[in-house]
Amino acid sequence: MTTHPSGSHIKLHFRDSKGELIKTVEANEGDDILSIAHEHDIDLEGACEGSVACSTCHIILSPKHYDLLPEPEDDENDMLDMAFGLCETSRLGCQVKLTRELDDMTATLPAATRNMFVDGLSHPAGKKPTHH
Amino acid sequence: MGPLKLAIIGGGPSSFYVASRLLSLFPQNDTLTSPLKIHIYDRLWAPHGLVRYGVAPDHPEVKNCTHKFDQVAQDPRLHFFGNIQVGPQTPPVIPHALPISLSALKSHYTHLLFSTGCNIPTLHPTLPPSDRVIPALSLVQWYTQHPSRPPPPPLHKTEHVSVIGQGNVALDVARMLLTPPAILEKYDVPSPVLDVLHRSAVRHVSIIGRRGLLQAAFTTKELRELTTLEGTFMTPLAPEILAPLSPPAPSNAKLTRQQSRILQLLQKGSPGSPTATSELPHGIKTKSWSLDFFRSPTGLTADGQYLTLAHTMLDERARAVPTGVTSLLRTDLTVTSLGHHADPSAAYFDPALGHLRTDRGRVLDTAGHTLRRVYASGWAATGARGVLAATMIDAYAVADVILADHFSNGRGEVAKLESGAYSKEDALVADDVDMVSIPKEVEEGVKAGRVVQYDQWKKIDAEELRRGAEMGKERERMGWEEAHQFLTSMGAW
Repeated sequence: MTTHPSGSHIKLHFRDSKGELIKTVEANEGDDILSIAHEHDIDLEGACEGSVACSTCHIILSPKHYDLLPEPEDDENDMLDMAFGLCETSRLGCQVKLTRELDDMTATLPAATRNMFVDGLSHPAGKKPTHH
Repeated sequence: MGPLKLAIIGGGPSSFYVASRLLSLFPQNDTLTSPLKIHIYDRLWAPHGLVRYGVAPDHPEVKNCTHKFDQVAQDPRLHFFGNIQVGPQTPPVIPHALPISLSALKSHYTHLLFSTGCNIPTLHPTLPPSDRVIPALSLVQWYTQHPSRPPPPPLHKTEHVSVIGQGNVALDVARMLLTPPAILEKYDVPSPVLDVLHRSAVRHVSIIGRRGLLQAAFTTKELRELTTLEGTFMTPLAPEILAPLSPPAPSNAKLTRQQSRILQLLQKGSPGSPTATSELPHGIKTKSWSLDFFRSPTGLTADGQYLTLAHTMLDERARAVPTGVTSLLRTDLTVTSLGHHADPSAAYFDPALGHLRTDRGRVLDTAGHTLRRVYASGWAATGARGVLAATMIDAYAVADVILADHFSNGRGEVAKLESGAYSKEDALVADDVDMVSIPKEVEEGVKAGRVVQYDQWKKIDAEELRRGAEMGKERERMGWEEAHQFLTSMGAW
């Protein structure tokens, strides 16, 4: 068990829909998953910028961590109703704020968000997408 | 690898998401020699399509997506040209748009993307448009001050409104007609629209659908907004509408998560029930709305005062069939909200689909063969369904196909096509182009101050926000004449 410095970083793993690890990052208590993803160049979209008006930041959480979170509010559930590939442990990334007990959680990007028409398209220009 | 100079027809969210993905996957380099250029054309002078002209004014958060579009537009490899109508116009015509034929684009672009949406409302066969029947699109374009400028509805002499259709547009229309104007005032609702709403006499909106709750197309959020709308109540649903759906009736198909939540909302109804006098203190009359299931209109009476309705039930395949019972509904204005289709005069429109026919984003000709380097995204390709998330996912998928084709061989062709063959028709695009050229009609339009480019749009955007702030609201919109005049006064042409 690693002891954390007093900055109390919390470990979060991002995985793609096939279960491959994209990146493990460290973030602070109170940070939301969408902001963390953007800070670390993870391809998680947030069209409405965290105002619970879309479902583009839909992520699937590791079950034991999902259970530790408070229930989603009505407005988040209304958006989740329309998310592609909805699962039992789906949440909107913008609404999940990290706490110490969520250390080591995995957030998986849903399948439908990538490469619907082209399997295994690697970035032909040889560089990963940059965020606009 | 050859150049990729893409013309996108249509500048709504689909276009900007496709552009965003293409730009992010190409390294930027020197912009003059960059192998990627994107030019977006829109027949409206302002960009962003339905985000500006379709999203309801009381849903401002949805419009946050334009911040990303602004960033995309800052990429020097992208240009926006607004107020340009590519190809033939369909009603409603935008008289001030600069016309240009599709063939005029050909020699300037290696790739073409249609992101033209579905802008034609589907009408009801028994309810042709008249002064008493209007498509929901007219109302939406009225309250967003769309450049086609539909006239305001006569709300001052309208007490009862019948909306035919039970999707989210139907609920948006009901909500805009029933929300107290004092609440709407701070949003992006143009002043002339607020004036009409302040004088509105609307008391009840019937939202009519020919099938039942499980077939309704509205979603939970929009329903929730209506059930909790201040100063209004929902006519409680008849128990038999709700009863067959509640467990443990064995004949039900299993409800989806969304259907269960909608059912719960409808069982709860509106907080506060109607009083005997339907009046609140200060003489403010409460307004109401209802979901009228299993009713199919068969026309208006000759005096235009009643909707004739056939009562329906579901057959074994969940289709609406008449029961033989009919009734009359006294109504002042009928709004048809039955979906949209693409422009039938558009190139490669498929009448059977109501939009363009595509294979994974590649446009197909009438023989079903694939056009080289011609693509379609968004509602133009999928039909008029799906909110922003679906639009984004589709746009990224089409962008990926454009790139996969581009990198597969020197001419943007792939070996194996779902359609079986490439088209033998004349190409819509060229093999070799000048990377910075634009059609001369567009150049002339730019010089004549008839084409709005993105930096000019941003000046108008800032001015609309400034005027709105002065009035204590989110934004005060300008029409074309005002916007043109403003840009002239700023020397911005």
